[in-house]
Amino acid sequence: MIYEEPRFLPGGDRYMLIELGNEMNLELNFIAQGLATAITENNTKGIVETAPCFASMLVHYEPDEIGFDDLKKEMTSLLGSLGPSTDIELDSRLFYFPAVYLDPWTKECVQDYCEKVTPKTPDPEFVVEQSGLKDVEQLVRVHSGTEYWVAALGFWPGLPFMMPLDPRCMLTAPKYNPPRTWTPQGTIGMGGASTAIYPVATPGGYQIFARTPVPIWDTEKRFPQFEDSICLFQAGDRVKFVPCTVEEFEHVEAEVEAGTYLINVVEYQKFSVRNYTDWISSIDASQRF
Amino acid sequence: MMEVIKPGLETCVQDYPGRIGYWNQGFPPSGPMDSWSFRLANLLVGNEAGAAALECQFMGPTLKFQRDAVVAVCGADMQAKLDGEPMAQWESVAVKAGQVLETSFSTAGARTYIAVAGGIATEPWLGSRSTFHQAGVGGMDGHALAAGQVVPVAGAAGTPGKRVKEDRRPLFSADKTWQIEVVPGPNDDWIDEAGQQRFLSSDWKLSARSNRTGFRLDGPEWTFTDKAYNKAPEHGAEPSNIIDHGYPLGAINLGGQTPIILVNDGPSMGGFINPYTVPSAAFWKLAQAKPGDIFRFTSVTVEQAQSMARELTSICSASSIE
Repeated sequence: MIYEEPRFLPGGDRYMLIELGNEMNLELNFIAQGLATAITENNTKGIVETAPCFASMLVHYEPDEIGFDDLKKEMTSLLGSLGPSTDIELDSRLFYFPAVYLDPWTKECVQDYCEKVTPKTPDPEFVVEQSGLKDVEQLVRVHSGTEYWVAALGFWPGLPFMMPLDPRCMLTAPKYNPPRTWTPQGTIGMGGASTAIYPVATPGGYQIFARTPVPIWDTEKRFPQFEDSICLFQAGDRVKFVPCTVEEFEHVEAEVEAGTYLINVVEYQKFSVRNYTDWISSIDASQRF
Repeated sequence: MMEVIKPGLETCVQDYPGRIGYWNQGFPPSGPMDSWSFRLANLLVGNEAGAAALECQFMGPTLKFQRDAVVAVCGADMQAKLDGEPMAQWESVAVKAGQVLETSFSTAGARTYIAVAGGIATEPWLGSRSTFHQAGVGGMDGHALAAGQVVPVAGAAGTPGKRVKEDRRPLFSADKTWQIEVVPGPNDDWIDEAGQQRFLSSDWKLSARSNRTGFRLDGPEWTFTDKAYNKAPEHGAEPSNIIDHGYPLGAINLGGQTPIILVNDGPSMGGFINPYTVPSAAFWKLAQAKPGDIFRFTSVTVEQAQSMARELTSICSASSIE
């Protein structure tokens, strides 16, 4: 649900977490992103930075300039000024990402975790079990059957937190307990109902079952998409995974290495919230591919 | 210019407050973990409190100065020597070109700061010179110092013989036990009352599997409120799972049953709850603890945490130097 009154939760002396709801839907993400934009445009005093995500926004503030209670008031007033998300139409880039599903690299990583940390059901089988799918082949069909909405960047530089736009492809799974200490670069995984791509080898908590060779952050700016930012994505982008073989992965990997890879992105589409919600209400969300 | 003879265990360039403004892209601030000792070291040599200096972890470096300089060593005691002679800490010292500053294992505390008049002059990256090792950015080529490197220093005169007043220095634990303040929240209501009491009354041991991204703690089990079990499936079924959200720096992040304090190079977002947050003014204690040390947590309010921060800022000023 979307809360009638947002919850303002303290995070030590310099942070406030504003929880807007307790589920994952596009509208909550639009409110979180909209609030972050409003803060920037309004140049609200005492705010150092924000980090919007699926259903919440974190504020980093300077307590010498604004107290917790005043910040709460400011945020309430800015939230009240946001227009309805139904009218939103925005430019949305669509990235096509080759991905090896049920790949050898994430398999090896999970095996290593089972040996060194704690035994667990292999991740693809576990997600199948948790989401009520038939088998891992269906996991591949369902996970690659939708466009993903980049709701936020975070955790690690450039890592996209994404939600499936097609409700028929919504999967859910718990996160690792305890988290992994490493994950191969380019791993695609999911936890809760969120999907992410790991930009580099990092710790992680998502269930992992695929890998892409496409770079999503680049400090050397070797590809034109990184000219303005070393992170490939921005909120409001979409990603479509295209299942490929290990051979195709290695081909792309070599092109990335050589700097000749052409990142597959199209920029001619607008995302209309009205069209999207109309479409959602016209389909049977309980169906599976 | 300083030539790195021995790099030490993990010596890196940091500035304060670090790389601010990129949390929404996943970039942590980095910066010195014990900003108290760090800022005083800079003030001793006449720098701005936040100028770039070296952070040394557990075992410090050996550095040869290629030019005359004024240097200050603050923080953990790593038995600093200048050309083999013991060198005063918490004091600015004149160093001649060719002299060697040698440090060793820390005997008290875990992190030492070496500031040089003028400040370290590596190329800033996204507005800061701080090293973010794990991503290989900032500092010297993105990583800890390596033998043979030459660390650039901006030329400036400093005054030797300045000292930090005794009562303005951080007092390190003598019995490997640290009282650490925490502010409840953002997700303290996911932990049941027994769990909250257990957290505040137990000894938590700092794990060796800790680094500048997170401090792992070993201790008792956590227990949860109903909220942690009865929730929308997109949170993830484990009680510590929540829909991914922004993490405050200092959050005590609960991945399953393992609490990890998210420190200077930590993640900005994720899908685990954060029942408590260590306020900024208590970070220096985390910085000076060694693996195996015990943390005991005390609950403070947001206002108390903010007044602690103001007090620390006033200590990190010229009034503490004599």
